[in-house]
Amino acid sequence: MSQVRRPLGVLLLSLCLYGVVLGPFTTYMKQKPVEEKLGYVPSAKLLHYLSADHKEFFGAMLVMKAIMYFGSLIENQQAKVVVTPPDYPGMSRILHGAVQLDPYNMDAYYFAQSFLTWEVKQYKLANSLLDYGMKYRTWDWYLPFFAGFNSAYFLNDYAAAAKYYQRAGELSGSDLSKLLAGRYMQESGQTELAIAYLTAMEKGEGNQALKQTYRTRLGAFQEVRRIELARDRFKEAKGALPTTIAQLLQGGFLVPPPVDPYGGQFYLVSGGKVATTSKFAFGGKSK
Amino acid sequence: MKTIINITLKGIFRDRIFQGIMVLAALFLFIPSAASLSMRQVTELSITLSLSLISFILLLLSVFLGAISIWKDIERRYTFSVLSLPISRTEYLVGRFCGIALFMLLTALILGGIALSVTKFATVIYPPARPILWSAIIASILFSALKYIMLVAVAMLLATVGTSFFLPVFGTVCTYLAGSITQQVYDYLHTPSAEKAVSLFIKKVALFLYYLLPNLSAFDFRVNAIYALPLNPYGMLVSVLYFVAYTSILLAVGAILLGRREMK
Repeated sequence: MSQVRRPLGVLLLSLCLYGVVLGPFTTYMKQKPVEEKLGYVPSAKLLHYLSADHKEFFGAMLVMKAIMYFGSLIENQQAKVVVTPPDYPGMSRILHGAVQLDPYNMDAYYFAQSFLTWEVKQYKLANSLLDYGMKYRTWDWYLPFFAGFNSAYFLNDYAAAAKYYQRAGELSGSDLSKLLAGRYMQESGQTELAIAYLTAMEKGEGNQALKQTYRTRLGAFQEVRRIELARDRFKEAKGALPTTIAQLLQGGFLVPPPVDPYGGQFYLVSGGKVATTSKFAFGGKSK
Repeated sequence: MKTIINITLKGIFRDRIFQGIMVLAALFLFIPSAASLSMRQVTELSITLSLSLISFILLLLSVFLGAISIWKDIERRYTFSVLSLPISRTEYLVGRFCGIALFMLLTALILGGIALSVTKFATVIYPPARPILWSAIIASILFSALKYIMLVAVAMLLATVGTSFFLPVFGTVCTYLAGSITQQVYDYLHTPSAEKAVSLFIKKVALFLYYLLPNLSAFDFRVNAIYALPLNPYGMLVSVLYFVAYTSILLAVGAILLGRREMK
């Protein structure tokens, strides 16, 4: 009997200890900064050798790690808990590693495109990643569609954009890419180009965190477009470009007043171009 | 030999290994919800997870069944009673191998069936952008089974010389890791940058190991299965022939070594 009594006592004591520790432990894990959660990932070369015949699995896991990290950051950003920007270089490194393990992984290209361009402004890096993906995903119209948008909107390389859109149009058979290839190959159509791109992206997005970022950006660009149209009407009526948004509001050209979903204030720069103090990013106002 | 195959299969079922596999197979139930986290390739991710789970289960089976069966028989002196039957040591070894191989095929068949159902389920909920190539998924599972059956032969060969289970278990795991990358090393050695960077001696050693170790990447048709890429029938045929030749060599060497082994 004494042989059972002692381990039973230890078991009860351990269970009590477990019950006591579990509360603070769970709280600690919950409050652990998300920045720490991205963690260290071994180099893609090492993973390539270690993953043996599970390369696609490890590739998918790396992408999931980046998506989870980003998702939790977006939630915190909206709840105004975290103000520091996400570790974009870390996310980029992870996604580049993922496509080395599995060059067919669409999530990696799609996700990289979503932040390498608007947030990190690494347009050439984004396009070289998309070019790499196009070598493998030869049937996928999304990759040339993304690359076309990057070339036209960010890099102002309309010849390359036309080529990418042409390819996207051939692969998808849809009119959208062909339309973009012809209609927006000029700087004046930049905002419309962005709206067309973001509308297509937001519509097809299943991931709630990304959908929300697209929706916010789309809202901002729709407001910019509204200001641009008011500016054009102002110029037509008065014969000169307005210098402030207030002029548009006072003249009744812009009703209701524009709202920047990122929390910034719109203003006009030289040449009537519309800009915002938020720089189209949360927390951009303070910079 | 039929007797040995029967004994092997009965022993595996008696050890409740099949039940253990079925418990692990319960993970298949979580695959559709895990795959739904993907942004653009839910079906592809559920195929990836299914194939990886099958591969992982078959790896565990090949390492433990292959490495432990012979060693356990020798350790527990079951070999004395078995070898007192009118069968040769070669028949005993091949019988054991065939029993385990049959069990692995049966497992691959059942798990493959579950994986196909899970994939079908995922396609109903999240229709894929590209049609699924079911033949590629089936081929990938079958070739995965062949790969791990070959690994069983490696484990059994090591068990015929090992005096403890360390050599067969760790030797098989190392062979699995090395056999999965030999093709990458071979490809690297034939690049212009390797011509300058790698010395002739290292190159010769690497090439020797390339031909000595099993080339497990030949049995990997996972990319074809996940992304519906067409299969190469010639590549499949050559891989099957490679499997037959390499496994026969391993079993033949294993039979010679077991035949010469002193059993006290």
